[in-house]
Amino acid sequence: MTPSLARGLPLVVLALVAFGLPLAVTSATYLHILILLFLYAYLTTSWNLVGGFAGVLPLGHAAFVGIGAYTSTILSLQYGVSPWIGMFVGGLLSSLVGVIIGLPTFKMRGAYFALATIAFAEGIRVMFENIDYLGPLQINGPRGLQIPPLKTGLVHFMFADKEPYYYIILVMLAAVLALTWAISRSKLGYYLVAGGEEPEAAQSLGINVAHAKLAAMAMSSFLTALAGTFWAQFTLYIHPKSVMSLDISFEIAFIALIGGRGSIAGPVLGALLLRPVSDFSRIYFGDTLPGLHLIIFGVVLILVMLYQPRGLQEPLTRLYRRAMGRLIGDRGAPG
Amino acid sequence: MQSNRQLICIMITAALVIAGAHAALAQTTIKVGNILPLSGPSASVGLQNKQAQDMAIQEINDAGGIKALGGAKIQMLYADSESKPEKGVAEAERFINTEKVNILTGAWNSAVSYPVSAVAERYGIPFLVPVSVADKITEQGFKYVFRIAAKDSWWTRDQFAFLKDMEKEFNTKIATVAFVYENGDWGKGFAEGWKKLAQQGGYKVVLDEPYPSTATDLSPVVQKIKRANPDVLFLTSNAADAILLTNTMAEYKVKPKAIIASGGGHADPSFMKATGKNARYLFDIVEWETDVNKPGADKTNEKFKKLYGYNLAGESVDAYVAMYVLADALERAKSTDPKAIRDALAATKLTTGPAMIVGYDAIEFDASGQNKHAALVMIQINDIGKGMERITVWPKVSRRANYKPVFPTP
Amino acid sequence: MLFIIEDTINGILMGSIYGLAALGLTVIFGVLKVINFAHGSLLMVGMYVAYWAVLLTGMHPYLSLVVVVPVMFVFGYLLQDILIKPIFKSEKEVREPITVIIVTTGVWYILDNLALLIFGPQYRNIQDNPLRGKMLEIGDMMVSVPKLWGFFTALATALVIYLFLRKTRMGRAVRATSLDRDAASLQGINQYRIYNIAFGMGTAVAGVAGVTLVPFYNVFPTVGVLFDIKCFIIVVLGGLGSIGGALLGGMIIGVIESVGPQFMTATWTEAIVYALFLAFLFLKPSGLFGVKYDW
Repeated sequence: MTPSLARGLPLVVLALVAFGLPLAVTSATYLHILILLFLYAYLTTSWNLVGGFAGVLPLGHAAFVGIGAYTSTILSLQYGVSPWIGMFVGGLLSSLVGVIIGLPTFKMRGAYFALATIAFAEGIRVMFENIDYLGPLQINGPRGLQIPPLKTGLVHFMFADKEPYYYIILVMLAAVLALTWAISRSKLGYYLVAGGEEPEAAQSLGINVAHAKLAAMAMSSFLTALAGTFWAQFTLYIHPKSVMSLDISFEIAFIALIGGRGSIAGPVLGALLLRPVSDFSRIYFGDTLPGLHLIIFGVVLILVMLYQPRGLQEPLTRLYRRAMGRLIGDRGAPG
Repeated sequence: MQSNRQLICIMITAALVIAGAHAALAQTTIKVGNILPLSGPSASVGLQNKQAQDMAIQEINDAGGIKALGGAKIQMLYADSESKPEKGVAEAERFINTEKVNILTGAWNSAVSYPVSAVAERYGIPFLVPVSVADKITEQGFKYVFRIAAKDSWWTRDQFAFLKDMEKEFNTKIATVAFVYENGDWGKGFAEGWKKLAQQGGYKVVLDEPYPSTATDLSPVVQKIKRANPDVLFLTSNAADAILLTNTMAEYKVKPKAIIASGGGHADPSFMKATGKNARYLFDIVEWETDVNKPGADKTNEKFKKLYGYNLAGESVDAYVAMYVLADALERAKSTDPKAIRDALAATKLTTGPAMIVGYDAIEFDASGQNKHAALVMIQINDIGKGMERITVWPKVSRRANYKPVFPTP
Repeated sequence: MLFIIEDTINGILMGSIYGLAALGLTVIFGVLKVINFAHGSLLMVGMYVAYWAVLLTGMHPYLSLVVVVPVMFVFGYLLQDILIKPIFKSEKEVREPITVIIVTTGVWYILDNLALLIFGPQYRNIQDNPLRGKMLEIGDMMVSVPKLWGFFTALATALVIYLFLRKTRMGRAVRATSLDRDAASLQGINQYRIYNIAFGMGTAVAGVAGVTLVPFYNVFPTVGVLFDIKCFIIVVLGGLGSIGGALLGGMIIGVIESVGPQFMTATWTEAIVYALFLAFLFLKPSGLFGVKYDW
């Protein structure tokens, strides 16, 4: 077996396992938890295009989730447009908003950028809470929109069972991971990393850092909005405090930093650690000691950051390489 | 970068292990899944609901459980929604699929009860809602949702009915009204009702003001009320803002002829403590009050106060009563099958037992699952020699003996 | 016209308390160059300390400062020393370690929910205190006395910090570290100790803000969250690291919040604050006092 084949093999196994999982996990509860896990992995991977590669810390991605969720929901509720189409309309709209946000904010450094994105997202949420009707479009202010579970089927993006949702988000996650992988090897990827690490040096090499960042932002907000539609169709109820809450923006950033931002596996690793911690601690302690689950979440955040400030991705990659090295005698070619 | 891809593999396998660890438990008891906001901004009300239900379940089980099922005990499982719809839905899914609950109850926040009702309907698990008041919860054509409390259109209707009665009783003409409400699902729902009723009643609306319940300073809103100078002020507030509004209004000497609140924050046990004499003469509409003229009510309240250190409030009574409605349905269903429980719930006609501490005489659900007898009472906060207390004033039949409401406010 | 003056005064007073809260954040940012996301939670801790001090001893709310300030200073000092210093040590080459944001957010979750576990979700306030509900009546205008106390406390606190930084040896060391931590280290200044002190100061200031709120505000576990975003907006508006900027930024927000609702609903005013903030950020990204981290 050649080393490259051996390295490709786990990917195949991984794909098989992921697609076969619903056969083993028959409980809708765990499927639900897995779907949310993949959803967050997807969101964080989309976020990673800006937050990881471009080296800034956006803390307002919930706005894009909300724009995606509202666009497809309004289109399908009021105009009977399939959420699949609405999904892409929402993506484009969100992309536009992303660029509008990016234009002024990318000039800012560190903390200013993070705070500006928070303010943007909160501003958009507050606006949605204040508007009942936007022209002919019913936004319904703080009360939000409910999607009646009447028409199920692929066209309506609505299913009675969880398996279809699982496969949809899995495919979305695989696609966005592949896209990230392609971008990381493209010129844009190099520009972004260079611009994030040494903006002045990159500029002097003739790289248009601002353009690269804007392109990344456009893609990132587009992809994030797609997840918004998924969120709406999965929970069938959206209101500004749920789909646009700061909590989502923060959780995405946590997952990225815990996993290791700027790497392809980081978001998935982060989601695999943080989502179960958050779900299971809530399940086990939420009833008897309210709040304890959030304390546990906080402790995990702090511990990982203290001992692995660059995220879990680095040590795990090392471990994995060593294991693979033992197994097939390949001393881990530089990846 | 390349090995990163492969790394994902290991981690997903790890997730598999976690996921595989689930085990179905054998059913020996009747399991009730209860979703409440136990942490986060609504933790205070979540806790009140939980304590009332704990007490009810304890009583039911101590009295021999469900006799028709061989003395089966009710087991209450709690989950924390943090007031977030998506967490509530996830917990509902878990209760139904993993814990195999026979019935769901909760979720206090209308925004959580709403999507949870859809989950319950899909799985055919009865969802007994004590207090989420948004009209739409029982107006979705669902078969498995049942609500004990009155819906918000009834609350607003009774607030105006009360006002009309007061005008007659005290021969005072009310011309202008002001609406101030938290900008959320609940407040907006009330405001919509008020606007319609004000128009029908011929009142002039001089102020219609939503405010964010996360506001750190409410004196601008109070100033607005002062300048609009309404005869009657209608309020819908959560606890923190109810306290802040009441205290700030006292500071700015805002004294309309009457203030009519909508329960919620104004009925929170912290409210009386944190406002003191500033809340004097305030009217508040609630499901229940400690001075209700019903046998057993004071005893139940005393027991509760001894256990948890504060009085039962309307919402906690609904939560308490819901457990007896459930026990009654189980006795009649003679089965733990959700469908049978649902049918028994739909046929509920409860007129006796500890649940009858409510201010009305029977609990029956209409076709939409709404408790059709659910009635509300209006209370006034006043000091008649024993410190500030909540005194029932309306409807007149329920009014505390020898109490004359203070209207308009001096 | 009179009502605009009245609202403006209220806005300035309330805003100065926001500014005071933000002052702690700006002190920490000025030196450590990181945003402390746990700031609102520190304010909450300060409020609980003040609340219990007043409730148990019956002292004047402002007298509780003698308890709150030292307790909060030590608390912040240790917090930085134990949780944040290791990150600075392991990420020496990074100027603004983002990791710290995650750690402070972790601290936020822990503190808020510890308060929930220990004190319960109830809303508390001190009914019997000499400041509660006091109003100053000037003609038809009314001014809240506890807020007035808050206003002067904010000014005094800002002055004390300013003098400390300008006139004391330690203060100069803090400023030197904030300007160039490497150069300061070369001068023999222990930068980690300075960080501890700055964080302790920021936390103590959050405590002072807590004390000013206790006479008229509610104390509950999630109270800090209400002030968090507000503080972030204020420090950027005023210029991150600027003391005067924080106070002025706070007052601007306070005035908008107070006067705005007279022309629109309070919920729209909330949106206006964000819009103005963003507009400002584009036009003058370095804040009102456009000096870069210079004290």
